[in-house]
Amino acid sequence: MINFDNVSKIYPSQSRPALENVSIGVEKGEFVFLVGPSGSGKSTFLRLVLKEERPTDGRIRVAGRDLARLSNWRVPMLRRRIGCVFQDFRLLPNKNVYQNVAFALEVIGKPRRFIRKVVPEVIDLVGLEGKHDRMPDELSGGEQQRVAMARAFVNRPMILLADEPTGNIDPATSIGIMKVLDRINRTGTTVVMATHDAAIVDSMRKRVIELEYGKVVRDQSRGVYGQAY
Amino acid sequence: MRAQFVFQEIWIGLRRNLTMTIALVVVVAISLSLLGTGLLFIKQVDSTRTYWQGKVEVSIYLCTSESVSVQCKQNGASTAAQRQQIQQTLSSNSAVASVTYESQAQAYQRFKQEFSNSPSFVSTVQQGDIPDSFQVKLKNPQADYGSVAASVTSKPGVDSVIDDRSILDKFYKLLDGARNAVVIIALVLLIAATLLVANTIRLSAFNRRRETGIMRLVGASNFYIQLPFLLEGVIAGLIGWAIAAGLLIAVKALWLDNLQQYFTFNVGLSAGDLIEVVVLAMCVGVVLCGATSFLTLRRYLRI
Ligand SMILES: Nc1ncnc2c1ncn2[C@@H]1O[C@H](COP(=O)(O)OP(=O)(O)OP(=O)(O)O)[C@@H](O)[C@H]1O
Ligand SMILES: [Mg+2]
Repeated sequence: MINFDNVSKIYPSQSRPALENVSIGVEKGEFVFLVGPSGSGKSTFLRLVLKEERPTDGRIRVAGRDLARLSNWRVPMLRRRIGCVFQDFRLLPNKNVYQNVAFALEVIGKPRRFIRKVVPEVIDLVGLEGKHDRMPDELSGGEQQRVAMARAFVNRPMILLADEPTGNIDPATSIGIMKVLDRINRTGTTVVMATHDAAIVDSMRKRVIELEYGKVVRDQSRGVYGQAY
Repeated sequence: MRAQFVFQEIWIGLRRNLTMTIALVVVVAISLSLLGTGLLFIKQVDSTRTYWQGKVEVSIYLCTSESVSVQCKQNGASTAAQRQQIQQTLSSNSAVASVTYESQAQAYQRFKQEFSNSPSFVSTVQQGDIPDSFQVKLKNPQADYGSVAASVTSKPGVDSVIDDRSILDKFYKLLDGARNAVVIIALVLLIAATLLVANTIRLSAFNRRRETGIMRLVGASNFYIQLPFLLEGVIAGLIGWAIAAGLLIAVKALWLDNLQQYFTFNVGLSAGDLIEVVVLAMCVGVVLCGATSFLTLRRYLRI
């Protein structure tokens, strides 16, 4: 599903590579944790998958497509098949829960009937039933992240990328978030999650890829977070 | 493509930086109406110029008993023999296209006709006040006026030689100057309008970077992301144009059409001329706003 072949990324103006000779394969339906100290290249990895950044070297394949050969106007098509959640939720403050989720479908031109059908389903899936009309500032951090996950998942992507989704959320609430991610993963969606949260990684017992200074230093199935950073 | 969604976004964008939008509309309106006025002016000048082009002649006025010039005082009114002589000289000149003699009676009739709008003025002039003349058309007025004039100026019976062109030229220089000034001001304002469009769109893109960021992330096409901004610029341009169109119609009705009363011949612009100018102004407005928005977006909306 995601295939990195000897990928390096050096940002302009930076001398040290953010990623160096990274080769990783993620299969369809896998759940992968991406761990490593700050600045080790986790977010860079996720941005490369989205083709928000281009690798300096190496080849990236996502869903069977070579990203280097994917022309610019088809990048949106790629992104429709990838959902994203972030530490800072990125909700629209002037839209309520329903509208925030529906927005993702409206802007890719889905018919209104379809939107009216699937949005409530997804809101139920992330556990926000009955909160359609709440504005983001009337929700807790955990609930906001659920809205973000609903928005990321509403178009049934093949891949869900999560960049420290529990970074702004307390441990107890994080468990709920992880349950939702697990539920999404069980529908067959590949999940890649960058995190610093040792407790979560240890409790899930999923594949763990550890980066350090842009290099893969560990790739372990059913792994743990490792030493403390 | 969901039209309702797009228009909702445009509405939000226009409302969010209302002051900028108003400034933009005003500047577009003013610059387009000045541009249009300049164009109407050009058309007006052209239409009078075309009218005159066929009429430009050299007038050779002959002495009458009323003439006050020294040579006429000395020799008295021109005689038939003198006129014969002058006509001979002119028609044998190869630079001359045609010569017509206009008697005092004919001159008076023509005068009465041309100023039929102002009978009080006509009543102050009587037959005999206007001298008889030779109206000479030249094959090439620019080159030959000097030699033709010289050949008859000192002939007995000639009062004065007047080149119509020299009078018209002064008039047209004035008009051309006014027109150039209007067009230059319009162009400067159009540049200002361009900068304002760019700035408005930039602000709009900045204000909505959250929305556009999410749109990018969930895979909205570039066209879909940019369209609301593009239309925002174009709609502001169209509103400005609509105001300008109103002003242009007023300019024509209240000002240019009033010029007509100072001319006996038809110099009025047709509705077709007006429509042409208004449509041209719309094209300029839409292209300017659209293109500027587009170029601005390419810089400020990362895809
Ligand atoms: N847009 C950018 N321009 C230049 N350098 C960048 C850019 N983004 C990241 N970097 C650099 O690349 C390296 C890797 O950054 P990255 O954001 O991938 O780390 P990370 O593992 O996500 O860190 P964190 O855990 O703090 O989020 C860092 O040294 C960072 O300074
Ligand atoms: Mg990061």
